[in-house]
Amino acid sequence: MKGWWWKILGAVIFLYVIIGGLTIPLKSGVTHSHPGSAKGGETLKLSISTYNTHFLSAKNNRAWLKFDSTHAIKSKNIQLRSDNTIDVSFSIPKAFPVTEKTRSLTLILDNEIDGAFVQPNAIFITASDTMSALKGEWENAEMQNFNNVKGIRFPYRNILNETIRNTFFHVALWFAMFVLLIAGLYHSVQYLRTGDFDHDIQSASFNKVAIMYGVLGLITGSVWAKFTWNTFWTTDVKLNMTAVAMLIYLAYLILRGSSTDHDKRAKLSASYSIFAFLALIPLVFVIPRLTDSLHPGNGGNPALGGEDLDNTLRLFFYPSIIAFILLGTWMSSLMTRYERLKEKIFISS
Amino acid sequence: MGGIFLFAATVVFLIFKSFNNISPREWTILIWIVMLFAGLNAVVKSFLQEKKETYMYYYTLFDPTDLIIAKLLYNFIFLCSIFVIILLFMGLFTSYPVKDQSLFFTGSLLGIFGISVVFTFVSVISASDNSNATLMSILALPLILPILLLLLKVSAVSVRLLNDSAVGDDIWLLFGVDSILFGAMLILFPALWRS
Repeated sequence: MKGWWWKILGAVIFLYVIIGGLTIPLKSGVTHSHPGSAKGGETLKLSISTYNTHFLSAKNNRAWLKFDSTHAIKSKNIQLRSDNTIDVSFSIPKAFPVTEKTRSLTLILDNEIDGAFVQPNAIFITASDTMSALKGEWENAEMQNFNNVKGIRFPYRNILNETIRNTFFHVALWFAMFVLLIAGLYHSVQYLRTGDFDHDIQSASFNKVAIMYGVLGLITGSVWAKFTWNTFWTTDVKLNMTAVAMLIYLAYLILRGSSTDHDKRAKLSASYSIFAFLALIPLVFVIPRLTDSLHPGNGGNPALGGEDLDNTLRLFFYPSIIAFILLGTWMSSLMTRYERLKEKIFISS
Repeated sequence: MGGIFLFAATVVFLIFKSFNNISPREWTILIWIVMLFAGLNAVVKSFLQEKKETYMYYYTLFDPTDLIIAKLLYNFIFLCSIFVIILLFMGLFTSYPVKDQSLFFTGSLLGIFGISVVFTFVSVISASDNSNATLMSILALPLILPILLLLLKVSAVSVRLLNDSAVGDDIWLLFGVDSILFGAMLILFPALWRS
């Protein structure tokens, strides 16, 4: 038991991430609503499609169009068509509470099962009376007593939908890859300093597992991109820089494979991997920061943290990183032991 | 040595004949692609052509740091002259669209220095490994990419394809990458040299 508790820990955490991360449902959200625009003074019938909602079993469905935090209009009539489709009628006042011509309003839906959820800029309203401000009709919307959804739910994001769960795998794989590469770098440096052959074996094992993580990270990212950006590969800078990083490390594998002399191989691959890691720093950390990217955190996209990584996601995201690091260390220690045995046979024969 | 210059000139002529009309965009890309492959051919020679006995002779004579700096300087000057030849022929056959001369040449010098550092280091590695010339291109090309991408951006700005007021950052980044790689080479070379 002593000495390998962390292997069990890694496996248990990974199981927790897989089971929890894949089974916990998403919060409710609006997928689309129709029509997209309306005029002041009309009666508007909004057909709304939603995701993961239970309109039919909920007793108290409510809907609002929100102008700002104090001004909104409440729905006149709600027609339930199914659990995920609903028709809501609003009678829109002739003018806005301030003198303004056009404004996009936020749609808010609420019931006691799914909780309250919003669709920003759901409808674009053109006021028919643009000269005056009508405060009264916007003020008694009773926009209060929102329900909270019970239990843990992952946030609903348009476009991302269910693929938000990929955060636990795609992003965590990159974090773990870097930790393993740094471990590999440490052993490379130690090999060059001490000349102890065991460090060479360890650094190679760490680097190999890291390369595998990198390839898995590219694959999960590519699948994710197909669902969100609608293509497997884009010109996005992070994507291509990582591809280059993978090329550099694949060249490392070729270098290790090409040489037959063990001592020379160890020396060459240790120097190359240090050099490669140093070339990687601008590639992965600096250049993407200077250029726009589709990834979160670049070019006006929200970063990790803030609204995108909410507490329910954190509950699985951080354990996932730890699990991948522990499992990676386990895999590389298995490889190290295998290589050590081969070495022993090589020496004794 | 003359062979490499002829190689560069021929490739430029080939490009001129196949494109006939080169836009500034293609000009900046092609000049660096030609530079890359001419440079690869040139540097392969500097370590791979020498015999084992020569190494032994060097080993008795010089400090490894002196040797690698000398090799690097030679490669740097060699690559610079190849660059000048390419520029001359490109200018002669097609055009010379560079608007911001000082930016273009600072960027190019830094970039060529980075390229020569990477090529020299990789040629040491592939020379130690049974003088394997394919290994050289496999190892060097991905390593050169960050430098090359920065170079392409700097040249694009100096040709006025792009407008970027923060191009100074790229120059500094190039300088930083160069110094990191140069430092790593100085530290790692003595360990490799002993074999």
